[in-house]
Amino acid sequence: MTLRSPLLPVLVAGTLIVFAWLGLASGPVRDAALLAAAVVAGAGVAHRASLALRRGHVGIEALVALAALGAVAIGEYWEAAAVTFLFGLGHMLEARAMGRTRRAVAELLDLLPDHVRVLRGDAEVDVDPSEVRAGDLVVVRPGERVPVDGRVERGRAAVDESTLTGESMPVDKGPGDAVATGASAHGYLEVRAEAVGADTTLARVVHLVEAAQEARPARQRAIERFARFYTPAVVLASALAFALTRDAHIALTLLVIACPGALVIATPIALVAGIGRSARDGVLIKGGDALERFARTAVIAFDKTGTLTLGRPRASDVVLAGGEAFEVPPDALERTLDPGALRLVALAARAETGSEHPLALALRTAAGTPVGARPDQVESVSGGGARATVDGSRVAVGSPRFLAEAGVRLAAGDLAALDALRARGRTVAGVARGGRFEGWIGFADAVRPHAAEAIAALRSLGARRLVMLTGDHALAAAAVADELGIDDVRAGLLPGDKATHVAELGALGGVVAMVGDGVNDAPALARADVGVAMGVAGTRVALEAAPVALMRDDLRALAAALATAQRTMRVVRQNLAIALGTVAILAVGVLAGHVHMALGMLVHQVSVLLVVLNAVRLTRAQAGSSAAGALAGSSGASASHQTRTRSATASGSLS
Amino acid sequence: MSSASKRSVLRSSELSCPSCVRVIERALRALAGVTHAEVFVSTGRIEVFHDPERVATADLVAAVRAVGYRAAPALV
Repeated sequence: MTLRSPLLPVLVAGTLIVFAWLGLASGPVRDAALLAAAVVAGAGVAHRASLALRRGHVGIEALVALAALGAVAIGEYWEAAAVTFLFGLGHMLEARAMGRTRRAVAELLDLLPDHVRVLRGDAEVDVDPSEVRAGDLVVVRPGERVPVDGRVERGRAAVDESTLTGESMPVDKGPGDAVATGASAHGYLEVRAEAVGADTTLARVVHLVEAAQEARPARQRAIERFARFYTPAVVLASALAFALTRDAHIALTLLVIACPGALVIATPIALVAGIGRSARDGVLIKGGDALERFARTAVIAFDKTGTLTLGRPRASDVVLAGGEAFEVPPDALERTLDPGALRLVALAARAETGSEHPLALALRTAAGTPVGARPDQVESVSGGGARATVDGSRVAVGSPRFLAEAGVRLAAGDLAALDALRARGRTVAGVARGGRFEGWIGFADAVRPHAAEAIAALRSLGARRLVMLTGDHALAAAAVADELGIDDVRAGLLPGDKATHVAELGALGGVVAMVGDGVNDAPALARADVGVAMGVAGTRVALEAAPVALMRDDLRALAAALATAQRTMRVVRQNLAIALGTVAILAVGVLAGHVHMALGMLVHQVSVLLVVLNAVRLTRAQAGSSAAGALAGSSGASASHQTRTRSATASGSLS
Repeated sequence: MSSASKRSVLRSSELSCPSCVRVIERALRALAGVTHAEVFVSTGRIEVFHDPERVATADLVAAVRAVGYRAAPALV
């Protein structure tokens, strides 16, 4: 058996039909040409029909073949030729168009390696990807894609992960850095494999995207139940029609339209295209139900730290007891910061030695030099601060409330300075030595680049209420909210409170989305109608759990995904209208005797093609959003590059 | 299902009408050693659980081809 391209028979049959209709042939020659066309176009259909029938399945091909045979039997050669030709042509075009809706996943699959170079001893060995194991040392040459998830052991290269995260600026990677399958390396790397094949993040992403595309929403399952009943019902109707009317035309025409093609694919084809498009933009939407809810989002709650802000606080201000205020310059700390202010920062850093709290890290960075030996009797108080004995005196560092509770007396001027810092969006820690107040240290956590723009875009997409949820002080939170254009701020929350607030928002009505870090905010994400996990490319748990997952830390990707979800739902509704309209028109037309086989097949195939092509529109990037996405990539990446450099300095100063 | 069960994935770019789904699934399930076969028309993915001792991946490809569709084994 051969499976040639379906193009050839369709072309030949088409030529024969044109020949027959041009009037070049008449009478018997014309009939012979049409019959030949029917045979050429129908052979493949009949072949597939018989393969299916042998396995006990009456497929659409069997109906078309039966209709064509019937047409030949009653001498309607034109109908037989037209039905088989249109069926073949339609099928070919549909297969091509459907291939385009699957393009997103195909492009991801293309990132998987064909072969992998593994170092065995000193020799490079080319192996099949299925033979690579975790622990193997893999060679990546300049210009090649990384074939495994792993860590760089030797070499240095700019690595472009845009295909996976949508982040378009390359990131510099050297020994110790993690690299992911599918990223392209602009330099030589030796990578120790940690995950291979189906365990890589890329493979997981492909799997999640496809699982999402394959998941059928409830409405689709209902349609498929209808379709299962529709086809045999129409065949039965055809037999009945023939028995009653003895009109073979109506009976055969009913057979032609028995496949509810457009109706069955109307929804899934749009979901495949929309979910695929979104995945290419770096946002995973987990299935049709999630997409439908997401598209209706009316309320969005955001975690503040790490979601709206970078989550990398920097010691930015120092106010000494008595009111003398200093700004901490971002770089070259020791030379420019006032010695008194620097002493305060160093003292606080020393008391926080050993703490992994982001503010402790920020203190160590600001203190610049190694801060000295670990102090005695360090005692950290959860959510408040730390006490330690430094050079013989008791030092307390922590939130203003923590200091007050520790019995530290604060003057009116110090309290005013505290409010002034908070009003500028600063998170504030106080330092006391020997029970006496020494000064405030303010921490700035920069708002994510383009966050305000993204918030505005979300609002214009119909999110009528935007809420910030944070454990921070209300004044500090309000300053950030003002900068971003968020009107509803819930500050001073304990970790468990966020989920409660999400539930409250839900009770007010409307679909509530919660955007946060997929690990710490997991309970609030789970309580929302749509949980949106951010920056999940590295954390598998978050990637798998959240209904919507952003592969990179850019809120504009969320706005783009919401727009795509809404466009997808519009296409679903249009497609259902096209499909139902077609079924109704055909049914009425056939029974009224206005639609014959050729026209019936034409309308049927055109409706299927319309539905598929309508979905293909979704696979294209939106002009506006793609330009914004490219911009986001460059500026966002340069920002993260800077922070990478800065954090490298920080870790250097600690060691 | 079976203790000696392996999951294989085939991919085909020729699946367009949902009616091909059942034909392919039946052809695969008819093979001795296949415990589960599922065809996803929207992604063109064919997922098969089988005993590799009794049915090789190449046999799966051949079975799909015998009902008129080209498919190729895939890593994921």
